[in-house]
Amino acid sequence: MPKHYRPAGKKKEGNAAKYITRTKAVNYLQVSLAIFRKLCILKGVFPRQPKKKVEGNHKTYYHMKDIAFLSHDPLIEKFREIKVHRKKVKKAVAKKNRDLAERLLNQPPTYKLDRLVLERYPTFVDALRDLDDCLTMIHLFAALPAIDGERVEVKRIHNCRRLSHEWQAYISRTHSLRKTFISVKGIYYQAEVQGQKITWLTPHALQQVLTDDVDFNVMLSFLEFYETLLGFVNFKLYHSIKVNYPPILDSRLEALAAELYALCRYMSSGSARMIENLKSEETDENNNAEGVIEEKKDKKSKTSSKADKSELKNNADGVIEEKKDSKIKASSKADESELRLALLQHQLPTNEPGALVNLIEESTAPDADDDDTKECKSLFKNLKFFLSREVPRESLLFIIPSFGGTVSWEGEGAPFNEVDEDITHQIVDRPTQSHVFLSREYVQPQWVFDCVNARILLPTEGYLVGRVPPPHLSPFVDNDAEGYIPEYAETIKRLQAAARNEVLPLPGIGDEDLDNSLVAAMVDRTESNEAAEKKRKLEMLEKQYHDELKMEIDGVTFSNLSNKKADSSDTKDDTKSDHEDDENKQAEKDDGSTALMSRRQRGLYKAMEIGKERKREKVELLKKRKKNADSSSSAKKRH
Amino acid sequence: MGHSDGEHEHEVDDLSADDSSWSDGVWSEDDDEESVSFEDSGSGSGSDPESEEAAAAAEESDSSEDEVAPRNTVGDVPLEWYKDEEHIGYDIDGRKIKKRDREGRIEAYLRNADDAKNWRKIYDEYNDEEVQITKEEAKIISRLLKGKTPHANVDPYPDYVDWFEYEDKGHPLSSAPEPKRRFVPSKWEQKKVVKLVRAIRNGWIKFDKPKEEPNLYLLWGDETDTADNKRQGLSYIPAPKPNLPGHEESYNPSIEYIPTQEEIDSYQLMYEEDRPKFIPKRFESLRSVPAYEKALREGFDRCLDLYLCPRTRKKRINIDPESLKPKLPSKKDLRPYPKTCYLEFKGHTSPVNSISVEITGQWLASGSCDGTIRVWEVETGRCVKVWNVGGDVRHIAWNPSPDRPILAAIVGHELLLINAEVGSEEAQMKAKELLKIGEMAPQDDTDDKKPAVMWMKHDKLDGITLTHQKAVSKVDWHFKGDYFTTVVPTVLLHQLTKKHSHHPFRKLPGLPVVATFHPSQKMFFVATKKFVQVYDLQKAQLVKKLESGLREISSISIHPGGDNVIVGSKDGKLCWFDTDLSTRPYKTLKIHSKDITSVTFHRKYPLFASSSEDCSAYVCHGMVYSDLNQNPLIVPLEILRGHSSSDGRGVLDCKFHPKQPWLFTAGADSVIRLYCD
Repeated sequence: MPKHYRPAGKKKEGNAAKYITRTKAVNYLQVSLAIFRKLCILKGVFPRQPKKKVEGNHKTYYHMKDIAFLSHDPLIEKFREIKVHRKKVKKAVAKKNRDLAERLLNQPPTYKLDRLVLERYPTFVDALRDLDDCLTMIHLFAALPAIDGERVEVKRIHNCRRLSHEWQAYISRTHSLRKTFISVKGIYYQAEVQGQKITWLTPHALQQVLTDDVDFNVMLSFLEFYETLLGFVNFKLYHSIKVNYPPILDSRLEALAAELYALCRYMSSGSARMIENLKSEETDENNNAEGVIEEKKDKKSKTSSKADKSELKNNADGVIEEKKDSKIKASSKADESELRLALLQHQLPTNEPGALVNLIEESTAPDADDDDTKECKSLFKNLKFFLSREVPRESLLFIIPSFGGTVSWEGEGAPFNEVDEDITHQIVDRPTQSHVFLSREYVQPQWVFDCVNARILLPTEGYLVGRVPPPHLSPFVDNDAEGYIPEYAETIKRLQAAARNEVLPLPGIGDEDLDNSLVAAMVDRTESNEAAEKKRKLEMLEKQYHDELKMEIDGVTFSNLSNKKADSSDTKDDTKSDHEDDENKQAEKDDGSTALMSRRQRGLYKAMEIGKERKREKVELLKKRKKNADSSSSAKKRH
Repeated sequence: MGHSDGEHEHEVDDLSADDSSWSDGVWSEDDDEESVSFEDSGSGSGSDPESEEAAAAAEESDSSEDEVAPRNTVGDVPLEWYKDEEHIGYDIDGRKIKKRDREGRIEAYLRNADDAKNWRKIYDEYNDEEVQITKEEAKIISRLLKGKTPHANVDPYPDYVDWFEYEDKGHPLSSAPEPKRRFVPSKWEQKKVVKLVRAIRNGWIKFDKPKEEPNLYLLWGDETDTADNKRQGLSYIPAPKPNLPGHEESYNPSIEYIPTQEEIDSYQLMYEEDRPKFIPKRFESLRSVPAYEKALREGFDRCLDLYLCPRTRKKRINIDPESLKPKLPSKKDLRPYPKTCYLEFKGHTSPVNSISVEITGQWLASGSCDGTIRVWEVETGRCVKVWNVGGDVRHIAWNPSPDRPILAAIVGHELLLINAEVGSEEAQMKAKELLKIGEMAPQDDTDDKKPAVMWMKHDKLDGITLTHQKAVSKVDWHFKGDYFTTVVPTVLLHQLTKKHSHHPFRKLPGLPVVATFHPSQKMFFVATKKFVQVYDLQKAQLVKKLESGLREISSISIHPGGDNVIVGSKDGKLCWFDTDLSTRPYKTLKIHSKDITSVTFHRKYPLFASSSEDCSAYVCHGMVYSDLNQNPLIVPLEILRGHSSSDGRGVLDCKFHPKQPWLFTAGADSVIRLYCD
């Protein structure tokens, strides 16, 4: 009798009925494996781990309900249609029926994934919770080369770029960026949206190479879903801050590859307009209605085609010319772009760009923000940054505004020039800086990232041009849990405490030299330190005095005193040895109680011990390396 | 170029095909032949025809060779046939053609040297004459050698000239009348058109591209927790998020995160799975950070994980490992118990196999491999008595009755009962008396069968010898001191006062290892390799059978209360049986790494100890409560080390002092140690 004998006519039961292997599932659905894969990816169906693998250990099992779920999806029919369509085109081409082929090619069967998005993420928070992979993927594809003939369509890469910029603009606008980290793999960002921590990775702004070791079909299937998802998420988010979506961008800025900046401008003006609209609703109804109509028209033309877009631009430029003559005399570049944007959206703001910004600042209700957001918003407040050519512009254009700073860059379309007097920090990444403005500080980009992570303005000494910056630490690591705190993390901790006007225990001697340089900037901190030290000295003196007084009362002569000291040291030793004994006992007790545990518990305990031991070893290794490095550096100093 | 080459080859093939009737040689040779024929004919017919011929040749070279026949008519035969003949062949009339006279080499050379046209001369062996090639012919040959057309002015790719003139002709090529179908609209086309028209009208065919409508809208409406907002289908297991980067992934990590070169090299020695996937590296500035080449690959791997990995919810235990440990009372509360070595009894020269403490706690007896039995005073550590029994003493036991200072010792097949000669004189006298009666022992011989045991007087010492048929392993006294038992491969019971032995257990489930009396009741415990049998001595029946689950029991000890038994095994495990509770172990402690040699309970204190071959003895607290609802409390207290290993053996025996919380251990290093509180 076979192992899993089932009498004829009896239904399958248990794991044999509940789970189905992949091959059987593909046969059951009557689709090809590639389509099955795509379906699984889009529907979010994944294999399961049955308790008992009836068909063999090395096979992949899907839950029967999942497969039934797939088989009821209209998408499966759509995929069949696409297959048929492809065959029709092929046939038409083969028969040299060019008309038919063209006609067919013009009308491929299309499908939408919005239903799937809602199915997989019934609430918005669900979608946000699963957004990490989506964002990482979209940012990765946004960094791929947009070249025709490569394996990824140019259109999709542009779409990814657009989506990623829209997302970043939202994050930056709502000041919800929390942590940043430059790793070798790229730059990690962590934002908090509606209480969900969302982490994503953007590659460094360098050319990525399309390698052959990946299956682009799989990745593009994922990308397809992610594009839809992020589109809807962005829509919802923009809606929540009362900005129209999809945004209409200043084409000039877009052409200059400063989409993010353009988006930011759009958002600020857009939300302002919303408010203005609300305000003027009663007074100026007619005007408003007109605006809406025009806006619609605008949208249409935007979506129609690229050629139209360029036309639109021309139109817009034409309008500008007219208006310029009649109404406004825009002098600065910023004003100009503001104007263009405004014209694009068919509403005219006030002359002054600053006024607009202020308006928005007021508009976002301060009480709605939590403390974290407030803190983030005010980190770079009143600071003006200027980015040199060589620094990663996109990243910094994203980070600095999201922490409340204003930023400009070298190149066209920038809001202000390098010669601007108000610039407080210039971010450079070059060995030497030839021309130096004394009114500003020249720092390396890492300074911005570290400041963001520490949430304080770190002293710039370590980050000046040409210096090797202090180590860049990951903000995602819980140092205490890890058991090892890097030196610079401690320094930052102290600086943070100083910023909060607290006094931590004095730093160790080893840290002093580093500390002095860093602390120099923080006057109040040093003062408080000094005060604390004085206090401690006083206490020490007092204590000594009391002790001596006591001794006098006891009638201890000086000669006795030394003996006593020796004694005390002896007793100390004793206590030490006692302590050691205790430790030994403790160890023995450990041994004993493990003997009393059940076998399973003992195994668990031992596994935990091994884990702990590994962690400890890791920390030991770090400490050893640190020690070696320190000793070698000090030896160098001596020489 | 390739095309033109092919063309040439084609021509050449044509030529050779034509020539093949009379020559199979290489084409260039044929060509020579052919040109020879020109020359020949030319020379024969004068200069004018020659020029004509040349012109003709220029026009159509292929046909010329057929016109003029060669002088010789032998045909395509090997020329060696005529080698020795006077003639070379026959002319067209059948006359012999004579061979020419051979001229000398020098002459030929001189002639050639003089003649400027010599390079154009060729000897035609077939016709036996010298032929001079014209310059044109030489050119042709050289062109052919190059693979070109023979004549320079031949255009291999001429423009196509349509010779037919269509214009101004006035009438078509065919004079047939136009068929009707030329004037009637096509039926089939019309059908097709009707079809298309219908399809267009019905909207089946659309010509304009479908409009791209904005496909984004507010997907998520209100966030109320209704049934619509619940996910359909099976429970969703969200994919685990990717690990967040640590300090070491920074572009500029702290110096301690960067492995040294040796460490990186050492990674190569690791297993592939253990090898760290990411090696931290330090860049001096942000501008020097290169693109991460594995970015796409890692993205792809993540995709694979997302759609190919089976997901299951796993409970991750996040507890303090200390909480797994059972809560035990503090050791301080469990005092007193033996902790430190207080005395060493030295004197034996070989491993001490067994020790026994006298019931008063004043004396300690030990038996060793060196063939001696020693009696020590416990408090001073002085050796009081030494008997040389001339054999390896395997086991030794004091009589538990305080007024009978008798020692039972096992030497090989014999059990010795010796008067220990310690204690009060009265007791010594009594012991002497008891042992004296031993002289009557031979009476037992009257039995038909050979008795299991022979009681005899010891020939040297003051005592009795019980000779067994096989080697004896263990001896144990009844608590009253009259009966005792020995374990040969069977269990025997002896009575000291009557000097009588019998063999009560005929059937046992395996070979008995240890046998012992209950400390207070009339019960008897026999341990075989896997089981412990409990017998009621009065009723003479089996009461209980304890299943140890151990591989091989080595020792057993009974709690003074009588309901709890500990059993030590050769796989280093110690089982505690609560016989009231179950016949299976209440607790199994794996405390030793090697065989347990002995286990023992203390008579007064709630202590028990085990000794093992791994040179350690283990003291545990074992409290038994009178309340039946409360399980015994077992707390491991102390590992006593100090014995050194000799010959792979460690501690061979351990015994508690009957009154004090002291433990004696006998080691294979021939030392007896006393551990006190």
